[in-house]
Amino acid sequence: MMTKDEILQKLQDVFRDVFEDDELTIHRESSAEDVEGWDSLMHVSLMINVERAFGSKFSTTQVASLKNVGELVDLLESRLAGAPGGRV
Amino acid sequence: MIEGRLHHVSIIVPDDERVHELAGLLGLTLGRRQYVAQYEADCIFTTGNGGVIEFIIAKSGKLSKFNKGMGGLHHIAIAVPDLEATKQQLAEQGIPLLETKPVDAGPIYINFLAPAYTRGVIVEYVQEVEPAAASQELPKVTQAAAETARAVQSSDTLATAPDGGRLDERDIFKSARSLRAEGRAEEAALRLREALRRNWLSPEGIEKAGRHIAGFLGESSAKPLDVLVLGQCTTHWVSNCLTAVAWGCGAAVRTVDGQYDNVIQELMTAAASGRRYDAVVLVPWSERLLGGEPGEGPARAAEELAFWQRAWQIVATQMSSRLIQVGYDWVSPGAVGHHLSGRRQGPVQLVRQMNESLQAALPPSAFFVDLDQASGTMGRDRFYDPRRYAWTKQPFSEAGAARVAQHLWSGIRAMVNGPKKVLVLDLDNTLWGGVVGETGPLGIEIGDGAAGESFKAFQQYAKALSQRGVLLAVSSKNNPADAREPFEKNPALPLKLSDFAAFEASWEPKSVAIARMAKTLQLGLDSFVFFDDNPAEREHVRQMLPDVEVVDVPEEAAQYIRALEAGQWFEALDLTAEDAERTAQYRAEAERRGLQESFASMDDYLRSLDMRGDVRDIDETDLPRVVQLLGKTNQFNLTTRRHSVEDVRALLARPRSVGLTVRIADRFADYGLVAVILGTEQSGETVPTLRVDTWLMSCRVIARTVEEFCLDALVRAARERGFERIVGEYLPTKKNQLVADLYDRLGFSRTGAVADNGMGYALDDITQVSATTFVARPA
Repeated sequence: MMTKDEILQKLQDVFRDVFEDDELTIHRESSAEDVEGWDSLMHVSLMINVERAFGSKFSTTQVASLKNVGELVDLLESRLAGAPGGRV
Repeated sequence: MIEGRLHHVSIIVPDDERVHELAGLLGLTLGRRQYVAQYEADCIFTTGNGGVIEFIIAKSGKLSKFNKGMGGLHHIAIAVPDLEATKQQLAEQGIPLLETKPVDAGPIYINFLAPAYTRGVIVEYVQEVEPAAASQELPKVTQAAAETARAVQSSDTLATAPDGGRLDERDIFKSARSLRAEGRAEEAALRLREALRRNWLSPEGIEKAGRHIAGFLGESSAKPLDVLVLGQCTTHWVSNCLTAVAWGCGAAVRTVDGQYDNVIQELMTAAASGRRYDAVVLVPWSERLLGGEPGEGPARAAEELAFWQRAWQIVATQMSSRLIQVGYDWVSPGAVGHHLSGRRQGPVQLVRQMNESLQAALPPSAFFVDLDQASGTMGRDRFYDPRRYAWTKQPFSEAGAARVAQHLWSGIRAMVNGPKKVLVLDLDNTLWGGVVGETGPLGIEIGDGAAGESFKAFQQYAKALSQRGVLLAVSSKNNPADAREPFEKNPALPLKLSDFAAFEASWEPKSVAIARMAKTLQLGLDSFVFFDDNPAEREHVRQMLPDVEVVDVPEEAAQYIRALEAGQWFEALDLTAEDAERTAQYRAEAERRGLQESFASMDDYLRSLDMRGDVRDIDETDLPRVVQLLGKTNQFNLTTRRHSVEDVRALLARPRSVGLTVRIADRFADYGLVAVILGTEQSGETVPTLRVDTWLMSCRVIARTVEEFCLDALVRAARERGFERIVGEYLPTKKNQLVADLYDRLGFSRTGAVADNGMGYALDDITQVSATTFVARPA
């Protein structure tokens, strides 16, 4: 099982890859306002890259309800644990 | 028992996506990737601490069928210090290996144990090539084995691109990013172009490359093609893919997207802005057409047609841009089901009628992208992604968006540059199966049998291309006579010599042959498409002639047609009667002008190859390869003496005898041991004389001044042994006309006829040899 910190670390790699910025640092509180280029279209690219990196698929409802990186970490954790609400 | 440690565990997976999925789930980092020709598989190794996992992706061959094609845990690998020793130990216990020779898999050599002896568990033995030794010299114990493996690899089925093979997508973007951060944006963009040209990127990577290149074009001063993309759906991803696909073909396309489903307003704004667009792309989406109540279909179709006609009018009258209209498509047959959907105004019928009326009304100068064809070719289940549509009103999957972009680009290219004009084809294993120089014109595979039928179908396809105006040309490394013979003598060939506008069969590098064709036909290299089954030739042409489009040819001949079609090189707005006559015109023109070589440029080319030669006395480890070459070399072989191992040993044991091997490498590849020279003292001469018994060379390095390099090596060896004169003979066979005048060219004088219709030669003063070679000796 990956810890939340490990998930965040791996997410950071995905963010760097998607936003083409090797300096990019993200925290649980990071949201679209904090990251340059994170608009609604990039959000879709980002989600698809996250899905691929973690081998898990999100539902439309889940993607729409995410407020910040922390919620994405929590969602991934529940997905990876196979918790209810996680359609993998 | 064999001493060894666990090296890795292997898992077979169907594709890259599954690799990333599994690696993601297991928290593994992917590292080195290597294509191994013998198993027809890509092998990806994980890095980091702990055990190594190897993911194998086999698209064809035996491994692709493992576990009924589903893959799974495949084998464990044990590292041993010396594969040869392991093989012998096993042999003593009566256990065989699956392969007779070590298999070259990059930095490791491998062999499999016969599973019958391991209760079905598949076990692989691995010997690592020491990093330092890998580039220089292979470990002593396995040098002979390595030589054999290299010989296998460097034959026509060369495993990877000579520059080291395919790169991982993440690494490509990482290096592009860091180059850009260092202010080397152009290099970064060129690196992405190389990755795009070689089809190394996934659809997702193509879109990402498009974003990167769009950023680069924004900063660059060069004038790109400006394309306005407007759709009834979101077009953002398709536009990025368009930039990437065009960039991969050497063109700069900058796109501007409009607001989703706001086509007319966006067009009017663009027209009013005065900004000039080279092309306008219009993308409908079927929701408006199919979204009405039952019975509304025809009325909606009429509305849609009127809508697009209005858009075309704005483009024609106010923008003077070229027009690309995409067609409608259906994703689902609808509630009426497949059977009824194609009639009585079912969705499928509505879409088809809509597309017909669009095409009928479209201005003749516009290009129509038939979305129904595009999605059908890929398969609608893969082409569309309902989730993407739900998220952003973008109906296409990543693969679908990249495919739409490919169609858009083929249209823009057809309108701006015109279609590609010349298809350059290889012969052996491209237009027919087998090697004509070995089997003769009637022995090649064509017409009958599974493979023969595939080659015949490919020839028929090429012939159809030529009938619609695409010029066909041949570039083959062969004896000219051998290359032409099948077209003249084998009635099973659909193609005839008169179907070709240019026919280059020689031993020259293909880049030289193609450049000469371009000159003779008076066409730019950017109108050439190159199709060759040999990956080394493809890489050579890619590097030497960056303007030539090189088709990624699959190993399976049955897939040739589709591979050629996939690039959409020959899309044209319209065809004329003139097109059908084109081959004849160009042939006549070419014959009139004649072929003229430019020697200066040839020297420049050879110099640029950066060739290095290594001359050694034959030793025991070389013997198997030497005898193999003696047995199979037909063309560059002055005497064609098929000596056995014992013969060679006896010859070398004679006093003052000469036995040389020559190894050649250049910036593209290491060709390994390519030439052998054997000589003995000629008795009864007034001055000490060396007689050349055998001189042969692999055809892969012919006409690159390796001959001259070999002569120099021979002269040096002769002088070292106290000889003052060299004699030899040319004994003609059906296959060795190539070297009929070799001795003449190298400055030997003729001494008269000898037995077997041969000609004797002598080099009387070996201190006076001046042969120009571009092959350098190691310092």
